[in-house]
Amino acid sequence: MVVVPSDTIVLPRRSWRDGLTSAQAQGWILLAPALAIYAGFALYPMIEVFVLSFQKWNGLSPAREFVGFANYIFIFRDDPVFWMALGNTVIWTALAIVIPPILGFLLALALNQALPGRNALRAVFYLPVVIAPIAVATMWKWMYDPFFGLFSTLLTDIGFQSFIPDWLGNRRIALYSIFAGYVWQHAGFSMVLFLAGLQGVSDSLVEAARMDGASRFQVLRYVILPALRTTTTVVVVLSLIQSLRAFDIVYGMTLGGPAQSTQMLALWAFTQSMQIHDFGRGAAVAVVLLLMTIAVIIPYLLWRARNDKAQGRSA
Amino acid sequence: MKILRYTIAIAGALAALTTANVRADELVIWSRTNGPAEDKALKQIFSEFEAANPGVTIKMETRSVDEHKSALRIAAASKAGPDLYYMWAGLGLGGEFVKAGMSAPVDEYYAKYKWNERLRPLADAYTTLYPPNRHGVPYQLNGEAIYYNKELFKKAGIAQPPQSYDELVAAAAKLKQAGIPAITFGGSVNWHVMRLMDVLLETKCGAKAHDALIAMTVKWSETTCATDAFNEFHKWTSEYTLKPFMSYDQTQSRKLFEANRAAMMLEGDWMANQLRTETKTPQEFGVFAFPTGTDRLYGFGVNFYINPNGKKDLAAKFLDYFVSDKVQQENLGAFGPLGVNKNVAPKNPDVFDKAWFGLFDQYKASFVNGDQGFPLDVTTEYWRIINAVATDTMESGKAAAALQAFIDKRG
Repeated sequence: MVVVPSDTIVLPRRSWRDGLTSAQAQGWILLAPALAIYAGFALYPMIEVFVLSFQKWNGLSPAREFVGFANYIFIFRDDPVFWMALGNTVIWTALAIVIPPILGFLLALALNQALPGRNALRAVFYLPVVIAPIAVATMWKWMYDPFFGLFSTLLTDIGFQSFIPDWLGNRRIALYSIFAGYVWQHAGFSMVLFLAGLQGVSDSLVEAARMDGASRFQVLRYVILPALRTTTTVVVVLSLIQSLRAFDIVYGMTLGGPAQSTQMLALWAFTQSMQIHDFGRGAAVAVVLLLMTIAVIIPYLLWRARNDKAQGRSA
Repeated sequence: MKILRYTIAIAGALAALTTANVRADELVIWSRTNGPAEDKALKQIFSEFEAANPGVTIKMETRSVDEHKSALRIAAASKAGPDLYYMWAGLGLGGEFVKAGMSAPVDEYYAKYKWNERLRPLADAYTTLYPPNRHGVPYQLNGEAIYYNKELFKKAGIAQPPQSYDELVAAAAKLKQAGIPAITFGGSVNWHVMRLMDVLLETKCGAKAHDALIAMTVKWSETTCATDAFNEFHKWTSEYTLKPFMSYDQTQSRKLFEANRAAMMLEGDWMANQLRTETKTPQEFGVFAFPTGTDRLYGFGVNFYINPNGKKDLAAKFLDYFVSDKVQQENLGAFGPLGVNKNVAPKNPDVFDKAWFGLFDQYKASFVNGDQGFPLDVTTEYWRIINAVATDTMESGKAAAALQAFIDKRG
């Protein structure tokens, strides 16, 4: 006779047929098509890019030559553009996690008030988010035109003709000129998330703080901002991921020029692969960008998982 | 088992459909997106050829330039693709496809159809770039030269188009003195301002050294004329070019030229049509070759290449029809101001026709654009260095060494 300790529960063994009827199995079945598509169109290309980064291939020759770390050595040591692209990506990302979220937060605060036409204004500020980045690039490129553009015309009209810069042609300001278009497009995205977050801030807490004599700034600092901590993290992380993928707007406005001064890692990976047709070096650049993105995403996913668990939403 | 049977049946049906789509007498042509006049002419030529060859159909697929190149690369890897394809003849473009075995030698067809007896020598020369065989049949021949504004030249006191490089520089100085920007380029597309560097290399180095530099058989850093050309390039971009020019493209540059904002523009023969349609007084513009001092015209050729895995005989038969006197005469202007056939001429030539026909008759050889001569990675670096010099972020004296450093490291 086997004595089973009273605190030990023995579960019956379940066959895969039993499993098929369970809710978990149904979940897997429902997930299967999406997983298959993800594996085919996301995972497989990622693996292929990783493999390609150790090969030399021009897209024409039937054979791909294994070259070890040669592509990485080239981009890190000999490529005159890679470090510029990396530097620009870092600058862009640093700006992208600060400026659009701050603007979005200020807009959300303003549009959370009982203003006449509030909903229309929310739509107006959100509208750029739904426009294709390449269309945004075209619009801003025209506005920056040194002869016929909006900004040049405005400066001319107020007598500042001699101060008109070559917005997209001067390598010292071109990156920031493009970034202004990016901010215009993305501030609305942060705004919507902050607006949603503000709906969750308890009115009674705000009222209580005011009755205790807190100023507007103190209410913001000690009540609203702490309540928006989760939203802020989500906004910052999503802004960071978006910024690392910045491609279309740079491609549409400057093609990475002048003299590659607005080149970004995503665009440089594309240029190496699809225009220079050096798929190995392009893949190496893409892998570097992938690793940078993963370095951001993994902590974010872990944080999300911890947060979900703390709120009792784990599986 | 049932599922397997269904799968096989569906696969079989799909295979049958696919096979039915590729008919033995269908000629498939791939090209970049055609202009309206070119498209209309091609459709007419196709229908005439089909009428003359019962059972034959021609199917043309067009894509944007980059997509066209990518599609051909994919086709090369799969041994599939079109029977005929459009491609620029230079080393970095057509040359890559020839090297990859995606072009069938056409020597036997040249002998059979005697094409060299009717092709312009300049166009014909682009079929002999990759010995020992001929590759491709000329589709288009383009020259690039200086378009100038006669009125602005007159205002600056320039009586006639410059005949030498020194005269050209003197004319630019006169224009500058008169407050007129001498020349316009669109710097946002790298290849436009590159043209200035290309012609200056030809001017400063001469034909032989220029070719050696483009072929990378001599060191840029050790070839003095290369640095001279970069210095000269910087002089033009800093003193004589309409500014700012780095943030707009060739189309905006042309609009500024048409609006009399600059006196000259280095453009291809295709701009003649644009001046005819976009300006009220096209006769106010003239054309002269950039005075490089060599006997070569700046320009490039486009060929139709025959896919070795395609219907070669049918493709050659079509090409014979395409380059015939009749087709080229009837469609003169649709593929550029002049066709590739030397026996044709415009019936009512205007100022641009006369200028371009004169240039193509005058020059028996040509030199190609840098981006057609270099491999693609070197082209990208060439553009970066040119733009860096143009934007004063690289000293012109260091440019040749910078390019050579890249060439040495490219592996």
